[in-house]
Amino acid sequence: MNQNRFLKTLRKELPTWQEHGWVSAENSDAILQHVGAKESHINLLTLGVAILGVLLLGSGVITYFAANWAEMPKITKLILLFGSMYIAFTAAGYFLRSEKSPLLGQALLVLGVIMFGANIMLIAQIYHIDEHYPNGVLFWALGGLLTAYVMKSQAVLALTITLAVLWTCLEHFGFRHIHFWFLVVWISFLPIIYYQRWTSALHLALIALIIWTIFSFFGIEYKNAQNTQVYLVQIYFLLYLALFLIGMLVATTENFHVFAKPIQNYSAFAALLSFYVLTFPDLQRGFRWHDSYRTEASTNWLAITMASLFVLIGLALWHRIRTSVNERPKYLICGQFLIAAVVILIALNLFLGGEYGGWMAIALNLLFFAGMVWLLFAGTHTQNRTLINLGFIFFALALMTRYFDTFWSLLNRSFFFMAGGVILIFGGYLLEKQRRKLTAKVLHNSK
Amino acid sequence: MIAKIFGILAIFTVFLCTMIGMKQWTLNTGIPILLETQPIDPRSLFRGDYVRLNYVIGNLKLNELEGDDEFEQHDKIYVKLQQQDKYWIPTAVFHQKPLINRDNLFLQGKVQYVSDHFWNPETQKSEEVKNVSVKYGIENYFVPEGEGLDLERRDNDQVVDIRIAVNKYGNAGIKAILVNDEERHVETLF
Repeated sequence: MNQNRFLKTLRKELPTWQEHGWVSAENSDAILQHVGAKESHINLLTLGVAILGVLLLGSGVITYFAANWAEMPKITKLILLFGSMYIAFTAAGYFLRSEKSPLLGQALLVLGVIMFGANIMLIAQIYHIDEHYPNGVLFWALGGLLTAYVMKSQAVLALTITLAVLWTCLEHFGFRHIHFWFLVVWISFLPIIYYQRWTSALHLALIALIIWTIFSFFGIEYKNAQNTQVYLVQIYFLLYLALFLIGMLVATTENFHVFAKPIQNYSAFAALLSFYVLTFPDLQRGFRWHDSYRTEASTNWLAITMASLFVLIGLALWHRIRTSVNERPKYLICGQFLIAAVVILIALNLFLGGEYGGWMAIALNLLFFAGMVWLLFAGTHTQNRTLINLGFIFFALALMTRYFDTFWSLLNRSFFFMAGGVILIFGGYLLEKQRRKLTAKVLHNSK
Repeated sequence: MIAKIFGILAIFTVFLCTMIGMKQWTLNTGIPILLETQPIDPRSLFRGDYVRLNYVIGNLKLNELEGDDEFEQHDKIYVKLQQQDKYWIPTAVFHQKPLINRDNLFLQGKVQYVSDHFWNPETQKSEEVKNVSVKYGIENYFVPEGEGLDLERRDNDQVVDIRIAVNKYGNAGIKAILVNDEERHVETLF
């Protein structure tokens, strides 16, 4: 429950509890003070306002100098650039050391890293340095990473993660290749997230990983896409399942369990998204870009898929060893059978060309819908509302996609839209009703 | 706390000074050569205060050059240059870095596009020739506001040449922009 709402409810309820003699007057005051002290969102608001303030100040200064930039000699420009970075960092150090305004200190630290990035770009401009342009953002992100580690600043790490996403975006769409170097930088975020127990940064890092996955799918060069995309998505499906298992393993540890839920939720979303993409007949045939079928997987794809499969099996066995039989309910076995069926199809797909893509798509679609029903079942049993919501969203999405795929060329256009509208209205109503029912049940059971 | 802050600032300062130093080292120690430019495609947009420089050596017909014949997009390319009258022109292209000195001058670039057709602006016809478009990292030049358009869309009687310096690794930096053999912009450290 929202902290503020919880506090309001407590204020309303406590006098009644006192009347009943369940709590004393002193205890109710102590409870209110304890809950009131937890109002962390006020701190976040202060940090947000402080960051906004320094950003406005920074952009004002930059705009002022930009207007007079051309007339300035190089040395003046350099003094201004270096000077503003030194001022931001020194002020950050002052406020962080005095502990009077640590949030302002954090905001100034963010400004310092922004100034470092501005310096890279403006020095490249002043000295006409026209190298591989995404490298500018990479060095900016590395500067941010260094600052985040040394100053233990979650705000700076958040900025660094955003910069890493910008870097990989420039690499993917500017140079059309799968940008694996992003993963090296991404892994470097994890030690500090673990040691500082930064769950907000973990959320952001996991979102960044999913964005990278989507970029790598769309960033593949046009001429290679036909024989690459389906095998790439298969690997993503296997690896995100592996990450989900890591989330389940993390939940069984004492040191890592705070990270379990975000890892499970984001990896479940990404695995489902990959599975959903695999249900497209055109992708399976290789028709997305060309009029010919895709070929069987090359040795490289075969090796990477098999390696991902071994990782997945290894993690599944490890989880089995760590958990007792009681912790593995029967419905989990059904899910394991479903996943095993998908994995077998994925392995088979490596040796089949696009000629069999239609059959493969039908089989994967059947498993996908069965999987969504299982997910709703699993979500209700584990009282995980995220799984229920994901199940409904992907069920509706797949249903809509197949409707468009299947009936677009078969039905008269006007009838197609009318029928689609009716299905959407009633289907949406029924799905939403069912979703609310299930999530309410979970909420009720968890109380 | 202060030690940490100064540590970060020291690393950032060293990095930024290295950026400046590497460029300046190329300009000071590199071999100066003169390159011919072509008027920019009139449809391309003027990017702020940047001049986009379109070099004659930016588009290479592989059948007219010695060396390697097969290049892919994003490949590294070493272009051998020889002086012919006042300009330096390409004579060979290679994948591997050769020994670079004053008698054997190479410019390092990156292949942007590979095409089997070449648009000849003189004949206004497409020729069936394998050619590569190369970027050398000297294609953009920052100028004071308002001067960029003049250099990009020059008059017919204006000749814009670029004097660059090439270091021993084949990297280049712009030393000066010349309009009708007169220095219009000259690079200095400060």
